[in-house]
Amino acid sequence: MKKRGIGMASIFYGTGYGNGFPDVSSAVVEIHDDGSATVLTGAADCGQGSNTVLAQIAAEELGIPIEKITLISADTDCTPDAGTTAATRQTYTSGNAVKLAAAKAKKILLDFAAGVLAVNTIDGLDIKDGYVYVKTFPQKRISVAELASHARFKGNRLIGEASFTTHSTMVDPETGQGAPYYPYAFATQIAEVEVDTETGKVEVIRIVAAHDVGRAINKIAVEGQIQGGVAQGVGWALTEEVELKNGQIQNPSFTEYLIPTALDVPEVTPVIVETYEETGPYGAKGVGEPAMLPTMPAILNAIYNAVGVRITELPATPEKILKALKEKEQKNA
Amino acid sequence: MEMKKLSLTVNGKLIEREVPTNIRLLDFLRDYLHLTGTKEGCGEGECGACTVLLDGKPVNSCLVMAHSAHGREVITIEGIGTPDKLHPIQEAFLEAGAVQCGYCTPGMVLAAYALLKENPNPTREEIKVAISGNLCRCTGYNKIVDAVELAARKEGK
Repeated sequence: MKKRGIGMASIFYGTGYGNGFPDVSSAVVEIHDDGSATVLTGAADCGQGSNTVLAQIAAEELGIPIEKITLISADTDCTPDAGTTAATRQTYTSGNAVKLAAAKAKKILLDFAAGVLAVNTIDGLDIKDGYVYVKTFPQKRISVAELASHARFKGNRLIGEASFTTHSTMVDPETGQGAPYYPYAFATQIAEVEVDTETGKVEVIRIVAAHDVGRAINKIAVEGQIQGGVAQGVGWALTEEVELKNGQIQNPSFTEYLIPTALDVPEVTPVIVETYEETGPYGAKGVGEPAMLPTMPAILNAIYNAVGVRITELPATPEKILKALKEKEQKNA
Repeated sequence: MEMKKLSLTVNGKLIEREVPTNIRLLDFLRDYLHLTGTKEGCGEGECGACTVLLDGKPVNSCLVMAHSAHGREVITIEGIGTPDKLHPIQEAFLEAGAVQCGYCTPGMVLAAYALLKENPNPTREEIKVAISGNLCRCTGYNKIVDAVELAARKEGK
C-alpha cells in the first residue's frame, strides 16, 4: 500500500567561521577613465554565483550599470584574499568587503566631483546610472567617465581597498556556552512523501522551503541554492552513505554511492523570506549550507506521519523502513 | 601502441586521424580535437558529463571506444552553439538560471537537444526521464527542467 505523509523541520544556522576564528575578506575596486570599474576579490565562485552577486553589489554602490563591472576573482596573481567559499560566508563577508572598497573609490571620485560641481561637501552628491549628480538639483550632473579621467589627470587614483571581518565570539571552553556566530540564518521546510509499505521505498512528492536569507541580492541564484540544497538533503535522507571499512571507502563510485537524479528530486518551491540584516551588504546574509539542513528531518518526519515509524539511522533505505514496519507490526500484535 | 585511421564526422566536419586503437571517444574529442566542452566526470558511464550525440542519440563518450565511432556522426556541445550565437536551449539555460558550476551543463544541453528533436513538446516528467542519466549536484534539477520547458516553447514559436 502507498501511504502519504507530511513532515516539517526548522533550523537555525550560524554563518561564517564562528567561535572567534579570523573571518576576513578583502577586496579592491578601481574606477576607470571610461566609467567602468574593476573588482578584485579572492572569493572563489564554484557555481553559487558570488561573481554575479559581488558585481551587483559593486555596481549598486558605485551607481554604474553592472555591464560596466569587470570582476576578477580567485586569481592568486592579483586578487586579495577573501577566505574560503565555505561557511555560507561569501555574500556576507566578501559582499561587505566589496561594498566598503567600492565606497572608498566612490568617495575619491565624489571629493573631486564636489569641486567640479561647486558643492561644498560630498554629502549632497550621489552617483546613479553612471552620472554624478547633485541630490537636490539632479539636472546638475556629470558622467562618471568624464569625471574619472579628469580626476586621474589631476593625480588622483580612484582605487578603494577594504577588508571586512565577520564578528564572532569564542565560546567558553569549559561549558561550550556563548554566541559563536553572527549572523544566523533561519529556515523551515515542509516535505510530502509517499511510502510504499510493500517495498519500503520512499518517494518525495514535494518540498516547500522557506529561507530567511536577509535581503536576496539575486533571487534566481538564491532559488537555485535552495533547490540544490534540498536535492542534497534528499540524498542525505534516503540514499547517501559513505561505507567505511578499516578506513577504506567501500563505495567510491556513483554506482554504489547514490546521489539523486532528476527523477529523485521533487518539485521544490522556494519561499524567500527577506529580512533586512543591518550588518550585511544591502541587508544580505547567506543561503548556501542552510538550504540542505531542514530537508532530511522534514522527510523523516513525513515518513513517520505516513507510516508511523521513526527512522533514527541514515539513510532511510527501503530495508530500514521495512524492518521498522515489521517491528511495529510485531509490537502491535 | 597500435595506431589505426579513424574517420568520422564531428560537428558537421569530416575528420581523419591516425589514432591509437585503445582510446575512448572522450579522449579523442578532448585530447586530439581539443573539444574540451565535453567533460569527464566519473569515467564509468554513471554521471553523463561526457554526453555527446552519436548518430543523433546521446551516449556517454567515456564508454565508447573512439574507433567504434568510425564512419559515424558525432555532435558535441561545440556543435550546438557558439558564444556569439547560442542555441535556444543554451539561451533558455541562461534565462532560467539552470547553470551553477556548469560541469554537467554540456551533457544536459545535449540530452535536452536529443529529447526536443524527438519530442518537441515534452511534459516535465518526460524531461526528467530524458536527463536522468545526467547527474547534477548543484541545481536540484528544477531549473534545468524549467529551462528545457522554456527551450521547447522558444523552439515551438
